[in-house]
Amino acid sequence: MPRYGMVIDLDRCMGCRACMEACKVENNTPMAILWMYVFRFEDGEYPNTHIWFMPRPCMHCDNAPCVKVCPVGARFKREDGLVLTDYDRCIGCRFCEVACPYGVNYFNWKDPKKNYYLDWDDEDLNRVTNGAVPPYKNPDLERRYSEERAGGGGQLRTTAGGGHYKGVIEKCTFCVHLVERGRYPACVDNCPVRALLFGDLDDPESEVSKRLKKKPHFRLLEEYGTEPRVYYVGGHPPGAETHQLEEVIARV
Amino acid sequence: MTTQIEKLPYGIGRLTAGWSLLVGLLLVFISLGAYAYYRQFTEGEVVTGLRNIGTMGGATWGLYVAFVIYFVGVSFAGITVAALIRLLNLSHLRPVSRMAELLTIISLILAAFSILADLGQPLRGIVNLLRYARPQSPFFGTFTLVISGYLFASLVYFYLAGRRDAALMAQYETPFRWFYRLWAAGYQDTPAERERHRRTSFWLAIAILPLLVTAHSTLGFVFGLQIGRPAWFSALQAPAFVIMAGVSGVGLLIIIAAVLRRILNEREHLSVAVFQWLGRFLMVLILAYLYFMIVELLTSTYTGHHHEVRLTQAMLWGEYAWIYWPSVTSLLIPVVLLIRQALTHQWRIGLLVASGVLVNLAAVGKRYLIVVPSQTQGSLLPYGSGSYVPTWVEYSIVLGLFALGALLYALFMKLFPIMPIPERGGEH
Repeated sequence: MPRYGMVIDLDRCMGCRACMEACKVENNTPMAILWMYVFRFEDGEYPNTHIWFMPRPCMHCDNAPCVKVCPVGARFKREDGLVLTDYDRCIGCRFCEVACPYGVNYFNWKDPKKNYYLDWDDEDLNRVTNGAVPPYKNPDLERRYSEERAGGGGQLRTTAGGGHYKGVIEKCTFCVHLVERGRYPACVDNCPVRALLFGDLDDPESEVSKRLKKKPHFRLLEEYGTEPRVYYVGGHPPGAETHQLEEVIARV
Repeated sequence: MTTQIEKLPYGIGRLTAGWSLLVGLLLVFISLGAYAYYRQFTEGEVVTGLRNIGTMGGATWGLYVAFVIYFVGVSFAGITVAALIRLLNLSHLRPVSRMAELLTIISLILAAFSILADLGQPLRGIVNLLRYARPQSPFFGTFTLVISGYLFASLVYFYLAGRRDAALMAQYETPFRWFYRLWAAGYQDTPAERERHRRTSFWLAIAILPLLVTAHSTLGFVFGLQIGRPAWFSALQAPAFVIMAGVSGVGLLIIIAAVLRRILNEREHLSVAVFQWLGRFLMVLILAYLYFMIVELLTSTYTGHHHEVRLTQAMLWGEYAWIYWPSVTSLLIPVVLLIRQALTHQWRIGLLVASGVLVNLAAVGKRYLIVVPSQTQGSLLPYGSGSYVPTWVEYSIVLGLFALGALLYALFMKLFPIMPIPERGGEH
């Protein structure tokens, strides 16, 4: 069984946010729902300022607080390390969201169909496009994917993609539908500078293992014992004085 | 028949103008809440002020969760007072026991409704919470221990304690005679039966007290076990929940007892001694809570960890100061009032009611401050601070729930004696 993980090279990331775009297209997530998010930070004061970028997918923690608190087992961890949400079982209590220190969970506050950049049910829109709305809907997201328990017995669960129902939680799946077919998550595939890497942490020959061997690394909020599966290399964790650019601008 | 109704104790069956007006008003509020919930159910929780933590800069738990805690907290009073009366043999407090038990039952029902109001998929919630129940989740305790176990035990206790009065009520010719007969279930009030009841409810009371501590603690664990939000992860969370539950519950019981004393004109049975005991109990509980508050404040600020400090600043002089300081004041004023009355041995029901109102406002404020700031100001990653403002939908649903509770109370009062019918020597 592979032990999937992600390595993010902060030396390489230039904040283009192509990963965010790739994620939205691949997973059909509604408006304002950002399973992949790239922080744009400004540290310090002029002239000693430093601008840097930090992508934030779901950390797929080994000791995931969200999995523990789910009252119905809709949030679960697979043997290969993916932390997934069964949107057919989720009751929308949002306990996972308050439990997560990284803020990666997104609730469908309204009917996702009405929360895309276009209203897919809009009659006028359908007339103009001849019924070809939505413009792109990923068919892989409707399929079921295995729970993958050791010794078999894992059920097939509805876990992939976003925007299925209102009133349920959805989050980054490491693109389970792609990973199961031996491909990379969309954000990794779409990064123009290969700042994001994905692979088997147990395989010493994998890209992730090699990059981790070459450079010192850290994990976000490691001190909270969540054991994240996302490793950052070539940078430093955000500190008490790290602020997003938007916040810095708002202060002036 | 009408003559029979006039003989019934505690105004049962007499639908006065004031009562009808109250019920009408409550129905208006309930309809408003129902309409608000209909809007939320059809459109989704986008109609509330809740939003995602993090990039959306909101709070994902808000007023509903704050009131789940409040309602479960209020339920403390009833069954505790009833159990204490039984265990410590405080027979002069018996007149408040039934109104206290009823408070427990109704507030637990309201708590269950608030949970449903919060769920994104309420219908699925009712099924899945049982079908896929996971004891590892602190919510499991909230649903099984609090809503089921605690409510069930309270209902059994309530039923047993009411059998004698049901048997007495069944002696009257009323349209609800079948109901009293059903409740009494053949109870004759013989010495043997009394003894059996006394023993059963004694053991039930002993069983309920640990259940009570566990139930309120599991609600504290919903927050106290989470490292993901600053100011939540604390061993004090569970005991503080138990104590605050007591503060709000006893406070509300004082208000209800005083209101009923006025309406039913029961100055004798609901004597000042009853209020005195409740006032003392309230005083001890508030003092314990204030102690917890100070300990918690010192623990979170002394180390100077920036997440905790930012949150504490927001509470003490930032965005949430307008809730924090009034809440603290609403605890300090009652404690001063109660201590003064305890020292001078002069108890005034008006002051006790004022204390009850204030501590309940403080309870709502403190619940809100536990739930919300740790989300809006508590991101461990530098998302920046968020904000949460409840919308009319949330206010209406909460108001509707209060109205529903009051309506259930008012209806019950017209159906069943709200206080145990006193012994009448020589009449039988």
